[in-house]
Amino acid sequence: MSSNQWLATGNFFTAYKQEQRTFFTHLDRSVFSLFLALLLIWPMVFPLSNKYMLVIDSTLIAIVAVMGLNLVTGFAGLISIGHAAFVGVGAYTVAALCRVLGDSHGLVTHFWPIVILAGGLVGAVFGAVVGLPALRLKHLYLAIATLSFQMIFEWTINFMTFFNQGQTIFVGRVFWFTGKVMRREHYQFWYYVTLVVIILSGFGIRNLMKTRYGRCLIAVRDNDRAADAMGMHPGFTKVYAFALAGFMAGMAGALHAYLYRGVGFESFTLHHSISYLAMAIVGGLGTLNGSFWGPVAIQFLELQVEHFSGFAGEYLPSSMNLATALRPLTFGLVIVLFLMFEPRGIANWWRIVKSYTKKWPFRY
Amino acid sequence: MSYFFQIVVSGIVVGSIYALAALGLVLVYKSSRVANFAHGQLIAAGAFIAYALTVWAKIPVFFSFIISMGATFFLAMSVEKIFLRRLIGEPIISVIMVTIGLASILDGLIYLTPFGSENFSFPAFLPHTPLSYGGVSISWTQLVGVIVTMVLIGGFSWFFKKSTVGISMRAVSDDQFAAMSVGISVQTVFGLAWATAGLSAAAAGCIIGNITGLNFDTLHAFGVVVFPVVILGGLDSILGAVVAGIIMGLIQQFASGYLDGNWGLNGTGEVMPYVILLIILLFKPHGLFGIHEIERV
Amino acid sequence: MEIRNRAFQITAMLIMVALAFTCQVHAKEYKLGLSLAITGPTSDAGNPYAKGVEDYFNFANETKILGKDTIHCSIRDDQYKTSVTKRNFEEFLDDGIVLYLNYSTGSTLGLKKDFEEEEIAVIPASFHAGNLVDSNYIFLPIASYSEQVVSLAEYIAVHNKGDKAKVAMFIHPSAFGRGPVEDAEKSIAAGLNIEIVEVVEHGKDLDSTAMLKRLMSKGVQYVICHTVQSPVAAMIKDASRLGIVAESFGQEGKITFMGAHYTGGNDLIALAGKAAENFYWTTSYNITSEKNDGTEKQLALAKMYNRDDKAANSHNYANGIMVAQVATEVIRRVKEKGLKINRENLYKELNAMNGANAYTPYTTVGPVTYSATDRAGVDMLQIYSVKDGVFRKVGQPITSEFMKKIK
Repeated sequence: MSSNQWLATGNFFTAYKQEQRTFFTHLDRSVFSLFLALLLIWPMVFPLSNKYMLVIDSTLIAIVAVMGLNLVTGFAGLISIGHAAFVGVGAYTVAALCRVLGDSHGLVTHFWPIVILAGGLVGAVFGAVVGLPALRLKHLYLAIATLSFQMIFEWTINFMTFFNQGQTIFVGRVFWFTGKVMRREHYQFWYYVTLVVIILSGFGIRNLMKTRYGRCLIAVRDNDRAADAMGMHPGFTKVYAFALAGFMAGMAGALHAYLYRGVGFESFTLHHSISYLAMAIVGGLGTLNGSFWGPVAIQFLELQVEHFSGFAGEYLPSSMNLATALRPLTFGLVIVLFLMFEPRGIANWWRIVKSYTKKWPFRY
Repeated sequence: MSYFFQIVVSGIVVGSIYALAALGLVLVYKSSRVANFAHGQLIAAGAFIAYALTVWAKIPVFFSFIISMGATFFLAMSVEKIFLRRLIGEPIISVIMVTIGLASILDGLIYLTPFGSENFSFPAFLPHTPLSYGGVSISWTQLVGVIVTMVLIGGFSWFFKKSTVGISMRAVSDDQFAAMSVGISVQTVFGLAWATAGLSAAAAGCIIGNITGLNFDTLHAFGVVVFPVVILGGLDSILGAVVAGIIMGLIQQFASGYLDGNWGLNGTGEVMPYVILLIILLFKPHGLFGIHEIERV
Repeated sequence: MEIRNRAFQITAMLIMVALAFTCQVHAKEYKLGLSLAITGPTSDAGNPYAKGVEDYFNFANETKILGKDTIHCSIRDDQYKTSVTKRNFEEFLDDGIVLYLNYSTGSTLGLKKDFEEEEIAVIPASFHAGNLVDSNYIFLPIASYSEQVVSLAEYIAVHNKGDKAKVAMFIHPSAFGRGPVEDAEKSIAAGLNIEIVEVVEHGKDLDSTAMLKRLMSKGVQYVICHTVQSPVAAMIKDASRLGIVAESFGQEGKITFMGAHYTGGNDLIALAGKAAENFYWTTSYNITSEKNDGTEKQLALAKMYNRDDKAANSHNYANGIMVAQVATEVIRRVKEKGLKINRENLYKELNAMNGANAYTPYTTVGPVTYSATDRAGVDMLQIYSVKDGVFRKVGQPITSEFMKKIK
């Protein structure tokens, strides 16, 4: 989505080049740089406990995955109920390397950035293959085709001895310039790595959406026949959308493998696919910043429910059932309420806040 | 040879139960174009209500099955009224996600009851000895299951073909605006579609519950298991659901009867439906009996 | 006057509160953590398990088993997901736990390296033999699944009439299910006189007729199940209506069904009803249908904390109690020696729990013995079988011979 639509008082662009700039004003740029600096500095100033650092890391990884899902489901309008399987493909790429080379082979521990990229590429290949039915299928039928991939993925991992039949395959500790990343700094280290991945791919996607390759996704979503008439190939565009989503998911998977230092199939089940979809929807489909809001919101909700269940559990020991029923209940309610009352997700609130502050103190 | 026939019979039995479980999905999709991911929860709810009535309220089994069907009839209808009515005309992803959210909510509600995490089984009410003929045997539970399935499916087919309400439901699925213009209340039709789906879900739940015992995980998994069936048959065809149900039952039984234990394969019955599904979708994107929609710009 | 009265009351209350606080300063609180599936898959086992752990620790605190000191065990639901378990574990570490109780096979295997690095003793609810491979800190409460399965196989070998018994295995499609198969095969290689005809991994089958007929045609006489209750129930219901369930152990031309810890218990009877008749089951726990002192205590505990009958009679409730008992006991022993309660001392004490120091909790059929080389707790297994709708003892507790040979 081009960003000019929320520009304060109208469109003053006189050349396409101007429209394609990343930041429109100096203020934009400085606020953004400040925000980035803040993200980089805070863990050093306020070190968090391992648990919360782990929560933040896995939220960030979910952001990477949801960015991919948002590309295929939000921008290109193709429903994918098998996103966790693509994440799994990335994770199992790392796991496969560990199985073949040993879990502390130099390639895995020293050249991990390459391994993460490789995870993304393998994810992209699988994405393209699974996207093939999109050449012929639409809507619900396509959704079910991705569901099939999810099932086949789970079965394959679960039965192949090479993948340890779904049991954890360990991944060794990685090295950085300062030496082996040990337990103490492990979570902080992966915080920075994942953050860098998010920033790079965030800019990547933002810029992609300003090129014909990004816009064709939206064109195909809005009306694929019309897109066809304008000279795009809807089929290939869909396959390419799946490949892009697979790439992001694969990277997320590889990061997941390194963060948890092991790959087991339980982290890539249908349930996770549904969670990713919920994150994308709560964040706001078809928006880039929605990919950030969604995972944060869902993760936050889950933690709060957990706290509350813990709290209720302390005081009402026999109400174990009530406390545990809350989690699916709230998760479902959040999805349903968002869809009923704010289908554009949190990204829409962000837009409202942004335009309000820009126009303040005027109402129009 | 009797092994082969046993597999065929088992396949048909299992398949017709799939067909019954799939029926609810087809009914909803046929009129309102909604794929219901909360169907498994409705199946489970139906089974649990029937159990609670039989064992706790001491109502005779057959009556409690019927009451349970009635209860899910209204449960599904109110679900439609509260959650889905607002979403008419929203993109398909929203509707799918609402039903997924609903599944989660129903999960939560079921966890509030003992059924969420404990196991139960229906008291036996059918003869224990199976019917056998030439080495092929079928249990009474299964036989009753098949008969109920056939009766319900026959009933629904008749309902859609002949009755006024059924015809108006078909009209709505064909073209909502045209249906409205001839005085059909689209909202009532949607509500009714969900309600009948709930009814068939309860029937499926009671039958499956009798076969596997009442375990929430096992029961609600059927909501996902039947998706290949409906897709294979075509989402909007009752006949398709029956044929595809039986095909899937046969595939599953043959896969686990002949593939498992050979060539180091195992559990193929679980995954084969999805493999076949993917292949079929590539060649017949609208399933075997689905209506091929023609789109225009 | 009234105001003074009020002031007096408030001061009195403040003093009492202050006293209460100073009292607590002397008593120490030891932190433990338990992460398990209270919802999601296997919650039917996890739920009573959690209740058992919770009740016993409350009981221990109330009856002052540790004197003034108390145990605080945080119980967290992980929905059977390894990633959530890991998060819970990190949280427990931040809280400063001294001993960790885990649950599923998947998460125990997945966090193995963390346990090693943190040097913390762990008691999981999974009895998977693979937990012990490359690991020093995982303590299984009772004999491993492999040992259970091999014991059943040995029982078959001893009690089967005629020559080599033909056995099939019916297992869960996961690491949990497949683990014991290998050990059973090893035992056969080491001379165990049975033959494994087929290993069946089950799915969510609605109809096992075909599979059962296949087994019959291959001449299978025994099926050893290693999975959870629901699939076993579905299978034996089918078997029962086909009329192929043996009425007595090893009946000619019929199949005797047997199973390891998580296949049996009252849940199986609840699911399978009459079809469960003559199902052979092995575990190390006392069960309430065979009354003894231990089960009386278990039921009394359940009554004390208002648990319903279903939880009170569950073998997983006993399982939870037993794990809590072991944890309490090891803390008590370290305390008795006047040592500091920390990970290192608890670990040492657990490893020393053998010989004269073996500990017999009231929930099991034998003593818990741990050592640096044997980290499976209760080595004794009791075989039970269903008679008239309840599990009854079959013979005396046994130990597996072949597990020692194949180690």
